[in-house]
Amino acid sequence: MTTLTKVSVPIQAARRAPQPATQQRNDRIRVAVLGCGQIADAHLSQLQRIRCADVVGVCDAHEDLAYQAAARFGVSQYTHLDALLSEARPDVVHIATPAHTHAQLAMQLLQAGCHVYVEKPFTLDVHEADAVLRVASETGLQVCVGHDQLFDPMWLRARRMVEAGAIGKVRHVESILGYPLDGKFGALVANDPNHWVRRLPGGLFQNTISHPLYRITDFLADEEPVLVGNWLRRGDFDFPTELHMALEGAEVSGSLTFSTRIPPQRITQIYGSTGTLWIDFDGQVIRRMARPRMPGAFAKLEMPLRHFTESCGNLTRNLWRFACGEIHYFAGMKNLFEAFYQSILTGSAPPVPVAEMRRVTSLMDQLFAHCRAQEKGGRA
Amino acid sequence: MSQPRRVCVTGATGFLGRRLVSRLLNEPELQVRCLLRATSDAESLLRGLPLEQQQRIEILRGELHDAAFLAEALVDCEVVYHGAAALGGSASTLFLNTVIPTRQLLTASAEAGVSRFVLVSSLGVYGTRELRRWQQVDESAPLDPQPELRDPYTFSKVRQELVAREMCAQLGLPLVVVRPGVIYGEGRSLLTSRVGLQVGPLLVRMGGRHPLPYTYVENCAEGLKLAGLVPGVDGETFNLVDDDPVTGHQLVRFLRRQGQRIRSVWVPGFCIQPLSWLYSTYAKWTEGQLPPVITPYRSAAIWKPLRYCNSYAKHKLNWVQPISTEQALERTIVG
Repeated sequence: MTTLTKVSVPIQAARRAPQPATQQRNDRIRVAVLGCGQIADAHLSQLQRIRCADVVGVCDAHEDLAYQAAARFGVSQYTHLDALLSEARPDVVHIATPAHTHAQLAMQLLQAGCHVYVEKPFTLDVHEADAVLRVASETGLQVCVGHDQLFDPMWLRARRMVEAGAIGKVRHVESILGYPLDGKFGALVANDPNHWVRRLPGGLFQNTISHPLYRITDFLADEEPVLVGNWLRRGDFDFPTELHMALEGAEVSGSLTFSTRIPPQRITQIYGSTGTLWIDFDGQVIRRMARPRMPGAFAKLEMPLRHFTESCGNLTRNLWRFACGEIHYFAGMKNLFEAFYQSILTGSAPPVPVAEMRRVTSLMDQLFAHCRAQEKGGRA
Repeated sequence: MSQPRRVCVTGATGFLGRRLVSRLLNEPELQVRCLLRATSDAESLLRGLPLEQQQRIEILRGELHDAAFLAEALVDCEVVYHGAAALGGSASTLFLNTVIPTRQLLTASAEAGVSRFVLVSSLGVYGTRELRRWQQVDESAPLDPQPELRDPYTFSKVRQELVAREMCAQLGLPLVVVRPGVIYGEGRSLLTSRVGLQVGPLLVRMGGRHPLPYTYVENCAEGLKLAGLVPGVDGETFNLVDDDPVTGHQLVRFLRRQGQRIRSVWVPGFCIQPLSWLYSTYAKWTEGQLPPVITPYRSAAIWKPLRYCNSYAKHKLNWVQPISTEQALERTIVG
């Protein structure tokens, strides 16, 4: 069964003039969610936690999907985009539809006067990204892409540690994404030959590798780093399932591994000149590793002791967060939503810079082109 | 309605579907057309069947959202057994893979002139909150008025049944709804959420004195078969649960006697509602740090002591439980 959540209804509602940030109604934001698939649940549950956001409607071309989301989250449901815009009048629309619909919908919504939050991947390619960003610039409205793991409490903490010099100068970033095909999401793609994800230019990877990739580019200053990559098919699967990528910048390098062989996991290691940070998003754990200071055999005692101390710190921190009710899988998403809404309300810089949305999309284009060339036995 | 010549089955490679196909093939001169997805294992259907029965199976591969495929697949089918449904995942996944294909199949069935549409619903669709403890639940009990407060699977099954009733009335398609209890059998654990919650290696047993609305898969398949073939039951609804239901306590004792090691803690029945309230209050206070899997509403629906009634299926379908509960439990353990 395909999981295509199609929303391609032409907008007939009167085009609204974009509201400058200073004219937004009070300090509240009217939010609508377009597309009621799995990720929409995460959006709606995090939106409920944001005080300045009023969810004014959900919309999906399938009335049953719109119904289930509306019923569970207690909001209005729509099956036509024009009705959503004219009746609910959202300030911001979150696009949570399949990736191949993102660009067209984003442009339609911008032209209708809405700020737009786009789930990852931003668009299918950099040409679409440019078109969306051009319309955003013309309309004076804001666009944000779902690079939410950059706003996860663990990543924010890692960032602070790096900035405080905990590992010296960053030299290399390694990102790993475990995505088993018998898992909750992978099985949907693996079991359906017509699944929309399989039809994306970058296939399974296009819908998944934004997260590990932007965790690398967050430390990579280069606009166009040297890039090599390859994808492989595992077992009997008739689509590429494994991906390896290396990035070489002037000062920082990166490597990305996407594997369907390993359990679900989101891990990044940041290697610095004096130490390494190991960040586990699922376990909400950060470990700092550095070369031992003690000589010879004493070092063999020092290292486990340091690991023990790190573990105690992580346990204490997570116990406290648990007691305060602060452990949420999509905490980064909430933080990003809030930052985006604040940028709309105050007119400040968007939380994910426009250049970064474009760069990540462009790198993915290059990677998939490289992989396709490798697959054909040629050279990129 | 005379005995149909060709019936169509969706979900034919599923736990219940395989048994249904096998029982349908026991009816002489009945052609059984199975609609399978591209990735479904057709071998499991044919394995062990006599050649004569294998020749009466047709396997068509396609997707239930494909109208062209359905138009072709339903030609000359007199009865459609619709058992295909998603069993797990988020609410959106369940709706996408259960409710939406049901709409498409109903439309195609009406267009193909199908004489009867048999929907495999669930005993979970009843709204049990308003019922008294130990009340008998027959087919006249109302559907859950707030299914969105239940688990995603039940939510999708309530919606599926409502959609089927509404569309069949509009399309003039004769509908029979079958509501099986918890289906068990070889290869499936007997310790379901009706007994308690599995928290890591620990089973948290909830209550334990209420009869479990279970049905052995072969017994259920027999009732389902009859719902499609017995004349004069169009528009009817049937509960399918086995006689002599065991309680949670009895089931755990039985499994332990059979040598299974079950690590469990017991929550007495009178504690379920207060603990559910406590849990859901904490989940709300933490804005979802713990998922709201236990709420007073859900707890009442799953663990309230009720007696589910199967007499209507016995009366109208002449359904007789082919395998006793005792035998069924033993077979499940051995299998």
